[in-house]
Amino acid sequence: MSAQEKRVSAAPGFDMRPGGRGNPHSRMTMQKPQNMKKAIGRLLRYIGASKYLLILLIVLMLAITAAELAGPLLQGNAIDAIEPVYRNAETGEILYNYDKNDTRFEGISTKTTFHVHFKGGDLIGREGHTAGLNAYLAAMGIIFILCSILYYFQGLIAAKLSQRTVYMLRGDLFAKISRLPISYTDSHKHGDIMSRMTNDVENVSNAISQSITSLCSAALTLVGAFAMMLLLSPLMTLVAIVTVPLSIFVSGKLGKFMRRYFVRQQRLLGAMNGTVEEMVTSYETVVAYGKEGDAVEHFSTISNDLRGCAISARVWGSVMGPVMNFIGNLQYVLLAATGGAMILFGGPGSISIGNIQSMLAYSKKFTRPINQIANQYSAILTALAGAERIFAVIDEADEIDEGKLELAPADIAGSIAFEKVFFHYIESEPVLKGFDLTVKAGQKIAIVGATGSGKTTIVNLLTRFYEVVEGRITVDGIDIRDIPKATLRHFIAIVLQDTVLFHDTIRANIKYSRPDATDEEMIAAALHARADSFIRRLPDGYDTVLDEAGSNLSEGQRQLLAIARAVLADPKILILDEATSSVDTRTEMKIQQAMVSLMKNRTSLIIAHRLSTIRDADVIVVVKDGVIAEQGDHDTLLAAGGEYAKLYQNQFAGIAT
Amino acid sequence: MRKLFAYLKPYWRSAALSPFLMIGEVLCDLCLPYLMSFIVNFGILGEDIGASPVASFLIGIFYPRGGYTPLNIIILFGILMLVVTLIGGFFGTLCAYTAARASQSFGNDLRRSAYTRVMSLSIEQTDRFTTGSLVTRMTNDIAMIVEFVEMILRMFVRAPMFFVGGTIFLLTLDVKFGVVLLISLPVLLITLFLVLARAVPLFGTVQTRLDRVNCVVQENVGGARIVKASVQEDYENRRFAEANGALRSINYHVLRLMAVMTPVLILVQNLAVIAIIYIGGSNIAAGVGGMSTGNVMAAVTYTTQVITSIMMVTMMFQSVSRAMASAKRVREVLDTEPTVVGGTETAGTGADIAVSFRGVGFRYPDTAGDPVLHNVTLDVRRGETLAIVGATGSGKSSLVQMIARFYDPTEGEILVDGRPVQEYSLQALRHKIGFVLQKSELFSGTVADNVRWGRANASIAEVKEAAAVAQAAGFIEGFADDYEAAVAEKGASLSGGQKQRLSIARAVVRNPEILILDDATSALDLSTEAALQKALRTRMKDTTVIVIAQRVASVKNADRIAVIEDGTIRHCAPHEELLEISETYRDIYASQMGKGGAVQ
Repeated sequence: MSAQEKRVSAAPGFDMRPGGRGNPHSRMTMQKPQNMKKAIGRLLRYIGASKYLLILLIVLMLAITAAELAGPLLQGNAIDAIEPVYRNAETGEILYNYDKNDTRFEGISTKTTFHVHFKGGDLIGREGHTAGLNAYLAAMGIIFILCSILYYFQGLIAAKLSQRTVYMLRGDLFAKISRLPISYTDSHKHGDIMSRMTNDVENVSNAISQSITSLCSAALTLVGAFAMMLLLSPLMTLVAIVTVPLSIFVSGKLGKFMRRYFVRQQRLLGAMNGTVEEMVTSYETVVAYGKEGDAVEHFSTISNDLRGCAISARVWGSVMGPVMNFIGNLQYVLLAATGGAMILFGGPGSISIGNIQSMLAYSKKFTRPINQIANQYSAILTALAGAERIFAVIDEADEIDEGKLELAPADIAGSIAFEKVFFHYIESEPVLKGFDLTVKAGQKIAIVGATGSGKTTIVNLLTRFYEVVEGRITVDGIDIRDIPKATLRHFIAIVLQDTVLFHDTIRANIKYSRPDATDEEMIAAALHARADSFIRRLPDGYDTVLDEAGSNLSEGQRQLLAIARAVLADPKILILDEATSSVDTRTEMKIQQAMVSLMKNRTSLIIAHRLSTIRDADVIVVVKDGVIAEQGDHDTLLAAGGEYAKLYQNQFAGIAT
Repeated sequence: MRKLFAYLKPYWRSAALSPFLMIGEVLCDLCLPYLMSFIVNFGILGEDIGASPVASFLIGIFYPRGGYTPLNIIILFGILMLVVTLIGGFFGTLCAYTAARASQSFGNDLRRSAYTRVMSLSIEQTDRFTTGSLVTRMTNDIAMIVEFVEMILRMFVRAPMFFVGGTIFLLTLDVKFGVVLLISLPVLLITLFLVLARAVPLFGTVQTRLDRVNCVVQENVGGARIVKASVQEDYENRRFAEANGALRSINYHVLRLMAVMTPVLILVQNLAVIAIIYIGGSNIAAGVGGMSTGNVMAAVTYTTQVITSIMMVTMMFQSVSRAMASAKRVREVLDTEPTVVGGTETAGTGADIAVSFRGVGFRYPDTAGDPVLHNVTLDVRRGETLAIVGATGSGKSSLVQMIARFYDPTEGEILVDGRPVQEYSLQALRHKIGFVLQKSELFSGTVADNVRWGRANASIAEVKEAAAVAQAAGFIEGFADDYEAAVAEKGASLSGGQKQRLSIARAVVRNPEILILDDATSALDLSTEAALQKALRTRMKDTTVIVIAQRVASVKNADRIAVIEDGTIRHCAPHEELLEISETYRDIYASQMGKGGAVQ
């Protein structure tokens, strides 16, 4: 029972393996931000970076809102222009409740030079023309053409703004990811980090391009429409806003009810997708254990529940529309009745038919933003929650890198010393307890020990992926904390168990350790690593593009590429974590040969899994319980019959019989 | 798509009812502007109600003896409006219910039947689909189809109804208004078509560039150590900036195209309104009969509705193509006939030979060249431990997987317990076998849950016993909650060795007749592996064990070791004997024991 094994539920394994390529899980549930104000503030700062775009956007929105608000007024006036106002021909008094059979009656429009003659109820003729009408219509036409053009530019600018903001956000997030200490990527699910880059950024982008503009214009329209209504008729405005509390109340109540089903639906959907993902990705195991039936049964239960819940969610969701319609029409009828009464009974605050039409149009514009804001609410909350998750990563502390001592590779001989090093990943579980180790320049050191004894930790500390808790590590007598990390890591090359390759050409992958290397140097490195022959057999040779994660190569070929990369780096210090994975004998032999030639003339630290490596080592270091239990060469240690002898029997020689 | 619609059949009543209910709702919606025009014309403007037969008929019902004031007219038609709104809302909600019921039930059936199909496919078939694609088909694609069906049931009637109804009502107001539609609709449609025709092909590029961004991030998160060790952070930032910039520019390009849509719609809609008022106004001025202000107002509403319905149809066409693609992908799953189908036998013959390969050959489907395996003949005795060694890709895994019928041999036959494997029901065959796979897949749940996966009704004592055999008891009991400790997603919280031991415990708890360890001990150190082998030998005497391993140390104590070379078993003998007769085995041994040519 080792310390590492105990850590099971406390934290994910801290082994060197990069692994864990989780799929970015789509996050379908609506999330609530923790601190809305702070998230908004920071997001606004990002948007604010494109100050002029933002100002332009706001100006455009103001212009559009004004133009749109002018629409109903003009439309009302246009209708007034076609609808005459009737006056008593004798007194000039406006007739609201006229009697067409009255012989004295004559209709004259006040707004136009437009006469309608009735005699005894019969239309006997019209004269004049709708002078105002064409002007109003022309004005409307101009305003809407203008409005469309403004709309187009608003769309362009909103797109530019959102893309620029998201570009910056992604860039900052990525820059942070590349500055994060390894402990962060080790202790967080990769899928989770990925989903911040994909889903969360996507949500923020949508919110900026859609929600923010529609929210702003909704707010502007709300204020503008209210003002216009007040201007037209304060009395009718009063009637119009009677229904507002009603619609807020009803939509609040209904929304609460709806949300309950939606939340449940999202949860079931999550559970369903989870079970599909788990069972399909582990299908071989499912088949091997004959669990297909159980899997289907489990799935059916969730699926049935989901069906019921989805129906309820949809029905409640669709009730909202008709209810809001009803309230809207109620408002319409109230307004029409009020307007009608005002026209009929005249008196102070009298109003024209066109004005009623405008009022009705404004009242629609007045209620729509309320719905619009409600619609955008969840999208904005989700975006803010996403922004928070992005900022949470951006706010993580950078890797500590305070060394100032600039050194050239030539300055370094390559001796290493661990001096009384203490280290733990989790406070209560020390891994290294006063570890001491001295390696002379050019020596080959094999580190052996049981799983979890701290072999990998030694590598993590030397490369400063993690920082020592106590004690110090020196290279050529210099504390590695005094050397900038970039400089330190230039001295060191590491070859890990799991080879990391990039979705790029083989050439780029080998040159990864030294991008300024020439092609000749690169090919020399590949030859050295015994990789040249298989590379040349590939259809595009060195220009073959590797799949994501290099899956079009075998494990052994991948390892050879990693070795070639290390050869090209030409480091002073080499760290090898020998792979345990299964490779066929022929490739295995090549890898060993390549490794041996790689180690020549360098200080090498090898986490050894192969007997041949151990035998070749200058010094074998046996790590146990966070300290060195024994060190020496193979024969001496074996003769001593201590910890190494036990380990040798166990791990390398086969089962002692 | 048509084939999938068969799943809608059991719910045809709900499905068929939905369009009718929707027609009810649309009719109510269409009546509203008419009622509004009555309010305006006869209530507010005080025109003669006799001009409209419908209006005078309606008012006649409530005021048979006349004597109504214009305010009465407003209130009466106002109440009628509200009633119609309510009826429309009622139809709408009912339609939502029937449509949701039909589509969700359809989705549920489709989902379950697709999942059942997935769970009956052979490994080779699922491999061909790839697991990622199966997951998307089961989730996103089916969800897309369900959305689509629901939309058809509701919207495919709604939009044309609005279009047709709105047009008819508009024309009954005045035929001249038709001219407006005749001009505005083609303009709108052509613009929409031009924009979409250019934008849609770009969506693919957007996806590719998004993938590229994700790929770079993935590599940097997963390969953080190499990036840092190579001090390539700046290079990676440049690489990312390139991908990010490319994504930004294509996104902007698409958005710029799409930005044309809203202005065009607004322009067309409002110019149409202007045209309506102009036509109406000049007709009123000219004293053309029947044209009134109320009519113009109603006509404005209908025109807006008709143009909106065009937008709705455009949106629908976009989703049709997506739903079609999804339907095709789901149908591919449903149309795949399982290639491995079980027989009916449930019991073996109790033969002495647990597993027998008779002239077995295997070739992956659709591959040319030499078969993976050919002419493999071997009997494994009951209770024997057989090890299989060979190079990667030599067919070791395929050989043992054929026992459990993950694949079927392309030649020869395999007998388990004296009976060809095809004769057993799959359940019965696999019940006999405890199979520990190369990759140890664990499930979310507790440690005990994961062990009980092997046998659901195992008591906790049996779970502990299995863990003890698998050498897992030690680390499990080290957890704070020992057997109740939670195992994270895919066992992410466990080390490789721990996962392998839990998977072995899961197989052991079945107490199987045949235990197959397919390279399942690679992450164990040799002392643990030795203890495991000892425990298997002593506590599971009757179980036939077949072990695939890379390390000689893992196999040398097996009763017999089979060496696979050139696609067949060349030698099968105990360790010592094999060292003498098999050159390949000697090579493997030498390279691993460091005595041979491995190090020069």
